[in-house]
Amino acid sequence: MAATMVSSAGGLLAMLNESHPLLKQQALQNLNNYVDQFWPEISTSVTIIESLYEDEEFDQNQRQLAALLVSKVFYYLGELNDSLSYALGAGSLFDVSEDSDYVHTLLAKAIDEYASLKTKAIESSADAESIDPRLEAIVERMLDKCIADGKYQQAMGIAIECRRLDKLEEAITRSDNVHGTLSYCIGVSHCFINRREYRCEVLSLLVNVYQKLPSPDYLSICQCLMFLDEPEGVASILEKLLRSDNKDDALLAFQIAFDLVENEHQAFLLNVRDRLPTPKSQPLESANPRSAEPVSGETEPSTASEDVPMAEGASVSSTSAPEIDKSEETYSERLTKIKGILSGETSIQLTLQFLYSHNKSDLLILKAIKQSVEMRNSVCHSATIYSNAIMHAGTTVDTFLRENLDWLSRATNWAKFSATAGLGVIHRGHLQQGRSLMAPYLPQGGAGGGGSPYSEGGALYALGLIHANHGEGIKQFLRDSLRSTNVEVIQHGACLGLGLAALGTADEDIYDDIKSVLYTDSAVAGEAAGIGMGLLMVGTASEKASEMLAYAHETQHEKIIRGLALGIALTVYGREEEADTLIEQMTRDQDPILRYGGMYALALAYGGTANNKAIRQLLHFAVSDVSDDVRRTAVLALGFVMYSEPEQTPRIVSLLSESYNPHVRYGAALAVGISCAGTGLSEAISLLEPLTSDVVDFVRQGALIAMAMVMVQMNEASDSRVGTFRRQLEKIILDKHEDTMSKMGAILASGILDAGGRNVTIRLLSKTKHDKITAVVGLAVFSQFWYWYPLIYFISLSFSATAFIGLNYDLKVPKFDFISNAKPSLFEYPKPTIVPTTTSAVKLPTAVLSTSAKATKARAKKDAEQKANTEKAAAAGEPSTSTNSGKGKSTEKDGDSMQVDTPPEKKAEPEPSFELVTNPARVVPSQEKYIKFMEDSRYVPVKLAPSGFVLLRDLKPTEPEVLSLTDAPSSTNATRAAAAAGLGAGGQQAMAVDDEPQPPQPFEYTS
Amino acid sequence: MDPKLTEVSQYFERFKAACVREDIDTSANLLSQLKVSLTSFRSLPPLFEVTPNSVQELTIARDIYEHAVLLSVKMGDQDAFERDFFQLKPYYTDARKRLPPSPQEHMILGLNLLRLLVQNRIAEFHTELELLPAESLEDPCIKHAVELEQSFMEGAYNRVLTAKQTVPNQSYDYFMDLLAKTVRDEISGCSEKAYDYLSINDARQMLLFSSDNELLQYINEEHPEWEIKDGSVVFQKAKETAPCKEIPSLQLINQTLSYARELERIV
Repeated sequence: MAATMVSSAGGLLAMLNESHPLLKQQALQNLNNYVDQFWPEISTSVTIIESLYEDEEFDQNQRQLAALLVSKVFYYLGELNDSLSYALGAGSLFDVSEDSDYVHTLLAKAIDEYASLKTKAIESSADAESIDPRLEAIVERMLDKCIADGKYQQAMGIAIECRRLDKLEEAITRSDNVHGTLSYCIGVSHCFINRREYRCEVLSLLVNVYQKLPSPDYLSICQCLMFLDEPEGVASILEKLLRSDNKDDALLAFQIAFDLVENEHQAFLLNVRDRLPTPKSQPLESANPRSAEPVSGETEPSTASEDVPMAEGASVSSTSAPEIDKSEETYSERLTKIKGILSGETSIQLTLQFLYSHNKSDLLILKAIKQSVEMRNSVCHSATIYSNAIMHAGTTVDTFLRENLDWLSRATNWAKFSATAGLGVIHRGHLQQGRSLMAPYLPQGGAGGGGSPYSEGGALYALGLIHANHGEGIKQFLRDSLRSTNVEVIQHGACLGLGLAALGTADEDIYDDIKSVLYTDSAVAGEAAGIGMGLLMVGTASEKASEMLAYAHETQHEKIIRGLALGIALTVYGREEEADTLIEQMTRDQDPILRYGGMYALALAYGGTANNKAIRQLLHFAVSDVSDDVRRTAVLALGFVMYSEPEQTPRIVSLLSESYNPHVRYGAALAVGISCAGTGLSEAISLLEPLTSDVVDFVRQGALIAMAMVMVQMNEASDSRVGTFRRQLEKIILDKHEDTMSKMGAILASGILDAGGRNVTIRLLSKTKHDKITAVVGLAVFSQFWYWYPLIYFISLSFSATAFIGLNYDLKVPKFDFISNAKPSLFEYPKPTIVPTTTSAVKLPTAVLSTSAKATKARAKKDAEQKANTEKAAAAGEPSTSTNSGKGKSTEKDGDSMQVDTPPEKKAEPEPSFELVTNPARVVPSQEKYIKFMEDSRYVPVKLAPSGFVLLRDLKPTEPEVLSLTDAPSSTNATRAAAAAGLGAGGQQAMAVDDEPQPPQPFEYTS
Repeated sequence: MDPKLTEVSQYFERFKAACVREDIDTSANLLSQLKVSLTSFRSLPPLFEVTPNSVQELTIARDIYEHAVLLSVKMGDQDAFERDFFQLKPYYTDARKRLPPSPQEHMILGLNLLRLLVQNRIAEFHTELELLPAESLEDPCIKHAVELEQSFMEGAYNRVLTAKQTVPNQSYDYFMDLLAKTVRDEISGCSEKAYDYLSINDARQMLLFSSDNELLQYINEEHPEWEIKDGSVVFQKAKETAPCKEIPSLQLINQTLSYARELERIV
């Protein structure tokens, strides 16, 4: 047959011109068969075929055939639009199930076309009738086919894209694995739906579907409801679960609550909490664990036994209530717990305990920095203080400050402000005792107290940082402080503190308070007021924005305008297209500072959406604005828009990072730092590497900080460049001739690199792929440190502990093991630095015998060990005194890491390919995929999550549990403070003279 | 023998008879019927299925189309000629291996070449020529067409006109007449460009007319825009020469340079 292939379609084409219709038909049919081969020839006569299609007298079927033929020819010619319109004319002859390039391409085209028409129709709110019914028919045929073939994901994708919610529902309900498809659909709706409104529609549909299922997946429903901002739904689900007799349901409810908390949506959480009925049990029951003792985790283990609800319920009800009340009892007890979780206190406290007990910060690094930094250089001096705060964020370990009180006393004025505020970062989340910790610095009511306004302002700011996003308890105090002062520095601190504590609550009264500060038109206070208002109104898109904008036009102070600009930007957080008018207004403003705010508004409104329009706009400003500030911010803002797709960012900004304009380069560095934070992405590191040795000092600064953000929590085993970077930092810090700017960057970078005792990472997305509002806001304000160094502390908001914390029904941490299926060295803590030997500065090539090298190494190691030991003994208090498993384990770990230091020939046995880790454990993001639960374990997680808070189902509830993480930092804090009291005595005298930050007063603690 | 085939061959006989009788209408009708019935043969192009009768079927189909081509020449219908020729062509090219060559083949190919020449489709003419095997070029029919084309290209129009006397086949006459007209059109086109005006005498000679009347008639029919003035033909050349636009080179250069400079500044 092959020998007699036709060589030309000329004959058939000629046949088309025959007058007899039968001949034309014959020709069409044959041409249709041969079009794949002869389309170039046919294309010249396509007009004839077109006219056949339009010929009314021609047989209907033949006309469709002609249309199909023309469509194919146009397809080959690359004229997809024409091709599509003729394919539509072909009607049923266009077979969607045909497996050819032509059909695939046209289907894709048809769906695109349909989707864009639908979108346009909806956006312009015109009726959808204008859409060609034939097009609709094709798309529906395709959808039906997908569903029939079991390709549900495809069907869902198309349905979502085409806004056919009816079809979406059909696809989901008909799929064989409804839960799987639903969770897939949630993922898709977050990644690919650009319009917020529509996403809400899809999600509410999903919730509907979920609720119709026989066994609803409450975890996912609640996530959806959170996005939809429907606290009632969540509350009713939680209530239902709590009412259940089954303990597992209660566990599930707790898990839901923890997952919601992780998204840090304070206003929503408070709403949910308020909608839950108040536990109406005996005052003894409800009040006891919450108010009587400052740390609920402290005494409960002693009183609460295994079966808390049963045991306690029995003891109480036997005296006062009848039997029926038993379930009510359980219920109210559960309610108390869940309210605790929803308020964030439980998770914050557990995180705090974890960070404290697992603190692995390396004081030697700080010491080295301190020694190398010149005393007179105040920038580097305060940078060191910042760095210390970041390094110990959330760990409550302020040893370094205590040990260096003299050195600390060099901080004056604003440096003192930030030194005090640093305490807030260190004690972040220490909700119960935050106030008492800061008490010595806080403004004393009435009497004036005689404290420096700087430390007082700093203390208020610190309180805000401690209570960031969980400011229920402290709001009132901050408000009072704000109202009772007219010192602008204190106002500054109070505004920031209030904004942080009441983040996103949109509290009118607080707003008015801050507004009155703003209207005093004082530059210092006004700036903070602007930011504070924004923080308060985060994501509300309220009318207040225009009020703020109006004032920004009115005032003369650049600082106030800048604060307001950022504040306005914060109000539109996550509102996507709703914010467009405001963004437009700001980006067209005459004032570059407002345009700069517009960039932030774009960044925050479209944060994490990777929205094309926003990216385009930002890129446009990045290259066309006349003001360097605006350009820098525009590039930086790209980082925020892209943080959900960190792999893309280096590619997008790579050109900008080679710009001639240093501001643009700086922005590019930070954009990569923000969007790739904590990922350790290789491309990001490669992009930043050249920038760390840029010719301009501030670009170096930005690149160093960004690099640290990217590499946070990585060790040398996973990427050798981490080691190189650490050495580079060290070199910059030690170099006497380095510019201050880059030195400061290096100091900050060392802090970020080892942030939070190395147990935190920067994470802008929660595990359920929602934005973490606090984190994003924190980074946004942090990036403002260009103008105002104290704002550096906002980075602590973006830290989240990388831990697996398993909890039992009592919300305690039982001891149990699970497996990390990877080499331990891959994810272990970075090795502790060796005591810097002064001789190491001499770089003479001396011949050293291998034996002596070993000897020195061993000696150095011993030194380090001793050093570390003495340090621990002096500072942290003997861990063994608190006698608990968590601490004991960490000392064991110490031993391990020491052993790693020993010369390689000594450890002959190969490294194990897995390790056993004990709850609660540090699980770094890249480690998550290796986490496995043991099958024969006593505890089974309610939800298979490799990190975060996970509720555990106890399979052997009768056996006694071994608990860990019972050491609240407060307890040891007390002993430590007592121990440090003597040490601090010397410093206190010095303080009396120049009124320096004092160590917290040893407070009375009775338990 | 297949009944269908018999039927077709009977019709074909009638068609041939009608052709010989020069009964144009009958033959056109018969031809149309024949073509329709040919569509039911599956051995014909483009399907080329192998059936027991395929050789006969192919042969008869080829004969039918050859006659159709000749008929269209007789009718002076160039479109029909083209149509039929293209349908015939696969029998010459693709079916070459299955059929004994047709005696008419070269004559028809030559006719087609001539048609292309007449229609002044020189590119297609050469394409067709290239597709022919070398030995076919020796055939008098083809050679005739090739020579004509050469003379035509050289501008030796008189040779073209005299070649009319040496046609290899009487069916060529139709095209040769047409060719004379093509030649004339070509000449008039050239003269229009070359001269502002020509005396009527010169024009007559140039356009190879035997009398002034013929010339005037030709001008009336084909080139009404030519003017006859003072015994000469004036070509309206001035009208056509629209001032060609000057390229604003300096401006373009400036623009490009400024773009380049701005690009430099942006990135």
